[in-house]
Amino acid sequence: MSAVAEIPENVSAATPQPEAGKAIVSVRGLTKIYKDFWGRPKARAVDNVDFEVRQGEVFGLLGPNGSGKSTTVKLLLGLLYPTRGHIEVFGHSPRHVKTKAHIGYLPEESYLYRYLDSRETLNFFGNLFDLPAAERHKRNEQLLEMVGLNQVRTRVVGEFSKGMQRRIGLAQALINDPDLVILDEPTAGLDPIGCREVKDLILALARRGKTVILSSHLLSDVEDVCDRVVIYYGGRIHAMGTLKELLVKPDTVRITMPVLPRQSMQAVLDLIRRDVAADKIQIDNPTQNLESYFLEVVRKARENLSENSGVTSGSHVAAYLRGEAESVPNKDKLLERLTLPAAPTPAQPAPPTEAAPKIDQAKLASLARAAEPEPAPAKPAPTPAADLKKADEKLSSLLGHPPGI
Amino acid sequence: MNKIITIAGLTWKAAFRYRLFWVMTVLLAAAVVGLPLMLKDDGTAKGLTQILLTYTLTAVSTLLGCATLWLSCGTLAKDVEECQMQVVSVKPIARWQIWLGKWLGILSLNAVLLALSAGAIFGLLQWRANRLPADQQAILHHDIFIARAEARRPPVDLSAQVDAALKERVKGYAALSDYQIAELRQQITGQIAAEYSEVPPGFRRRWGVDLHTLRDSLRDQPLELRVKFHAASPNPDAQYSMYWVIGPTNSAGQVTILEKLPPDSFQEFQIPPDLLDDRGILWVDVVNPPENSALSFPIEDGFELLYPESSFVVNFARGMAVIFCWLALLASIGLAAASYLSFPVAAFVSVALLIMGLSSGTIGSVVENGTITGYDPAKAGYGRSPVDIVLVPVFRGALKIIKLVEGFSPIDDLSSGRSITWGQLGLAVLQIVVLLGGFFCVLGMIFFTRRELATAQGNN
Repeated sequence: MSAVAEIPENVSAATPQPEAGKAIVSVRGLTKIYKDFWGRPKARAVDNVDFEVRQGEVFGLLGPNGSGKSTTVKLLLGLLYPTRGHIEVFGHSPRHVKTKAHIGYLPEESYLYRYLDSRETLNFFGNLFDLPAAERHKRNEQLLEMVGLNQVRTRVVGEFSKGMQRRIGLAQALINDPDLVILDEPTAGLDPIGCREVKDLILALARRGKTVILSSHLLSDVEDVCDRVVIYYGGRIHAMGTLKELLVKPDTVRITMPVLPRQSMQAVLDLIRRDVAADKIQIDNPTQNLESYFLEVVRKARENLSENSGVTSGSHVAAYLRGEAESVPNKDKLLERLTLPAAPTPAQPAPPTEAAPKIDQAKLASLARAAEPEPAPAKPAPTPAADLKKADEKLSSLLGHPPGI
Repeated sequence: MNKIITIAGLTWKAAFRYRLFWVMTVLLAAAVVGLPLMLKDDGTAKGLTQILLTYTLTAVSTLLGCATLWLSCGTLAKDVEECQMQVVSVKPIARWQIWLGKWLGILSLNAVLLALSAGAIFGLLQWRANRLPADQQAILHHDIFIARAEARRPPVDLSAQVDAALKERVKGYAALSDYQIAELRQQITGQIAAEYSEVPPGFRRRWGVDLHTLRDSLRDQPLELRVKFHAASPNPDAQYSMYWVIGPTNSAGQVTILEKLPPDSFQEFQIPPDLLDDRGILWVDVVNPPENSALSFPIEDGFELLYPESSFVVNFARGMAVIFCWLALLASIGLAAASYLSFPVAAFVSVALLIMGLSSGTIGSVVENGTITGYDPAKAGYGRSPVDIVLVPVFRGALKIIKLVEGFSPIDDLSSGRSITWGQLGLAVLQIVVLLGGFFCVLGMIFFTRRELATAQGNN
């Protein structure tokens, strides 16, 4: 699925391994009703929701706009108070101050001080975590490098583009090396490279045992990184489970292999047609997804042009976020690959993500029924800038109309 | 504490990045330097200096006061409305720490701006004084550039005498209304007070001021009498000669001074040093010659003795400290309002509270009359309104609170060379900052802690 999916061998030595299955976030019967000036119910944003987020998992809150995702996130952070129900984060109330030291939060918009520059912004939030000056400085440098803003560190946030604001917002969310990262629409406003970097980062965090809650209406974001998702609509949870549980089609099989000689191919098809009707067999050549293609084009362009208009591509994940395990850049990972300068490497074929080449393979044939069905590989990722409306419509068609409020 | 300082530092960053600091500095400089150029004075160095002190300090206090209210409302309410507070409050910092950091940020900003203004005013005064002729400089140093404390005769409690006289007067009158009794009490109070303040023609009145605790420090120091009187003949342009007999009774050291003074305004004149008696009491007699009309020296401020207490520099600094206490109160009011309300509403509420504070006279009248209705000549008294049941107690409470603050007038004191003692400064800190400011601080912190911060949608 992703280029950073490989786990370094020494990661376990550097990073304390999480206690498997321990609930970091526990939500029971959560209801939030917004009221008007007179205290009359105005809107039921979240309606009797239950879920748990376990340590080390990437948990997705998926749903169309207005479905209650952001309200849930804000309830988890203590920015809103539940009308009914119970929330525990690290075993405490969301308003427990010390607990907040373990949480990083990226809101859905850039809610940063517009008059601070990048370095001051990170310094400010680092101070709120009581980070020692040396550690704060080190993390600032690494984070600015990671989000590609090290060259514009003295420009105030108010002058940033939306994408740059998202990047600095992401950096502030990680300044404390949080155990729980809550990301609300993290890829909104980012270009495809930024989207990929964020997704890589989420996976890198998950490898270190960090828990990530990702709220998004972008299906590709969730599909690419989440272990488990809940799907919201009308303030209620309509589906919950791992992606495998939700997406696998156990009665269908896909085989990917190099092109066969015509005769061999014909023989295979003949064999398959004995058991499967011809109209149920699909054959085509696999394509890489647009994201992979785009990233490769940009990589080549970067090799030929050293300057750009401001933002540099994010470098490798900040060392302190990777733990000591990944201090050496890994050329197999996208963040590293995109930013490795100097020695021009020969142009490589488009580096398909782990899932990409498989995704569009034709379903050549169905294997013997006795064989265990292979888990379905991930579908090709749509462009990161997937149309919001399209996503909403897709979910609406899946779930029907929201219940009346 | 580091977190609180971090939040306070944010106010400084904002003040510089939005150029508030520089704008305020320019405005304050204009008030300090430009205002004196437009002022008309009475032609004397003393008059000019008094006016300069009064106007520049008033302008500086007003500018800083308005900026403080505006900034305190804006810094919190806008952070909530523009959602920055959502990012800050999810960090490990308690809401009360955020609130306190904001308050300290505004206070530190005010402290620097006030110090700059005070330094400029002080420098301007010294510069102007040094350009004056020597005799004028002497007058300034004697009357203005000094801190003179006041001593008065012991306060007179008239209430027991008024009660006794009232009781005697109403005997035999069965049904007197509340209004009639109040009116009668007022007249009796006036009559008894007159007994303590009037000096008929050909008579004398004596005051004794106990200065035994200051005997050593006042040795060889000339003192000043500050008097105000009203004359029975209503002619404000007239001047009245009177004799002031000062010193131990029937002793050779007693001195007599003839002064010709105008009525209805404060007048000061110097008296020789070392006139205390053996017990450390200074006795002062005023003799009203037979050709004058009757004179009345009000009980509250008709007679005061002024003595040097400290230097002008120290007094000036204490005066600035009292003004700073006011600014601290305004900051806590603004922040408390912004803790629960949006920026425009918080600003409106803060200004309304300020206006209410400045309307203590009206509030006092309501409390004194027991009603918000005016005087009704047809009924020969005050009417009654149903809302009195609520408003009069509210106003009574408000008046008590306002009185905690309004007793301090550093600008008047500085321009008249009166001392603002350490005791007064301590009282100002206690009443204005700790009691009243503390009340608004606690209120604001409670509101802010209970507030849902994510109901606002970002508009940046």
